Amino acid sequence: MNDLSIFDRLFRRWERRTAVSKDDKRALEGLPWTYRSFSRESYLLREGEPVSNCTLLVRGFAYRQKLVSTGARQIICFHIPGEFVDLQNLMLEVADHNIQSLGSSQVASVPRTALLSLMSDRAELRKAIWLDTLIDSSIFREWVVNLGRRDARGRIAHLLCELADRLEASGVVNGAAYDFPITQEQIADATGLTPVHTNRTLQALRKDGLISLTASRLEIVDWDRLVELADFNERYLHHSV
Amino acid sequence: MNFHESNPLHLLVRQLGAHIPLSAADEAAIGALPYKVRALEAQSYTLREGDRPDRCAVLISGYAYRHKVTGDGSRQILSLHIPGDALDFQNMFLTESDHNVQMLTRGDVAEIAREPLEQLVLANPRIGEAIFIAALVEASIFREWTVNVGRRDARSRIAHLLCEFSYRLFARGLGPEEHYELPMTQEQLADATGLTPVHVNRVLKSLQADGLIQRDRRVIRFPNWERLRDQADFNSRYLHVKHQASRGANPD
Repeated sequence: MNDLSIFDRLFRRWERRTAVSKDDKRALEGLPWTYRSFSRESYLLREGEPVSNCTLLVRGFAYRQKLVSTGARQIICFHIPGEFVDLQNLMLEVADHNIQSLGSSQVASVPRTALLSLMSDRAELRKAIWLDTLIDSSIFREWVVNLGRRDARGRIAHLLCELADRLEASGVVNGAAYDFPITQEQIADATGLTPVHTNRTLQALRKDGLISLTASRLEIVDWDRLVELADFNERYLHHSV
Repeated sequence: MNFHESNPLHLLVRQLGAHIPLSAADEAAIGALPYKVRALEAQSYTLREGDRPDRCAVLISGYAYRHKVTGDGSRQILSLHIPGDALDFQNMFLTESDHNVQMLTRGDVAEIAREPLEQLVLANPRIGEAIFIAALVEASIFREWTVNVGRRDARSRIAHLLCEFSYRLFARGLGPEEHYELPMTQEQLADATGLTPVHVNRVLKSLQADGLIQRDRRVIRFPNWERLRDQADFNSRYLHVKHQASRGANPD
């Protein structure tokens, strides 16, 4: 694993919004990181567990989810390489949701105390991390809207627009096709739909020439029409601040 | 320390101090922030999507809510706010507002200029941390709302909203545990739960018929908190309340 590329994505994202210095970056790289790999669907963190680390996604994808008493699962957001998946662990002591690996993934974890002490010395780094948590929060809000007030086609279209937009902005991929190993069941759990309804809606989107989706690849065929159907406005992603 | 309850920002200090101990000097520094109190009518906006605000608001009295409007004009309520809540501190760092904030009832907000607040937060790590924790708890509430709207049936959604509001008021010392005045119309309840007003009306009647709630105009009573909590699938963990005063009917 190439350490430089691990932090590159994170730093590139931060540079768009903050004035994090070379010195800040070197200090962050110098923290006691440990590396772990996860297989498809394995858990990075479980609800109710005490937490002591913050985890940066290095390769692959992850998602947050919660289970309700009937056993149904709601996916709360997806994370892409170069993002921390659990920054709330800096201050909140118990996990209030689960985090799972989407396909196989690699992560770098750091003790939260080490990250906190770095943040208390370095205002710009502190600001960069706060911004990340505030943008996570904005994404959570948009998902409430998506689930509460859009129909099935709009919900799925919105999810796909968001993923494509974030993947593109992070430089993980370029162009209209994305390697994103999402299953129909996960799309259903992210949009509050049944698998059957999800399958039908995806087929309709395909038939209408908006997307093409295989087991590991998402292709957006007609971005403008998908955006319109999704009611997607990237303002909530705060690419620049 | 010359900071006392005549300064409306003491509500913010109390809210932040519930998460992390603030020193007298920290409290005084918050109390010294310049602010302006505005009295607002119900339904007036404190913030609109797309605004680039130069001030941040703390709710002093009354209730407020955040919401977004979709392309086809329907509204989704994102959160409910009670006195002491910061309504838009994210705008210290995010330039452009991504949602609307509106008053649910008549009330007062204290507006703090963004720049001195940001300077204080960056210069004083403890105050920064306190505000950061409040923002993280808020994010946790948004996550729970995603779950509520995405994977619970209509009865549980409404029951969950009622439980959350009760728990937060009680934890903030703003109300008794067994009843409160719900400052929401059935249309607003519908917009908070992704339902239609007709459906909300039916659910409220059925919760009442089953003895889970009692309604007298806008006052809602909970004769059996445990059954309501079970119906709601409510677990207070996501509210991350520390040092909760003991709650007779609620073992959480």
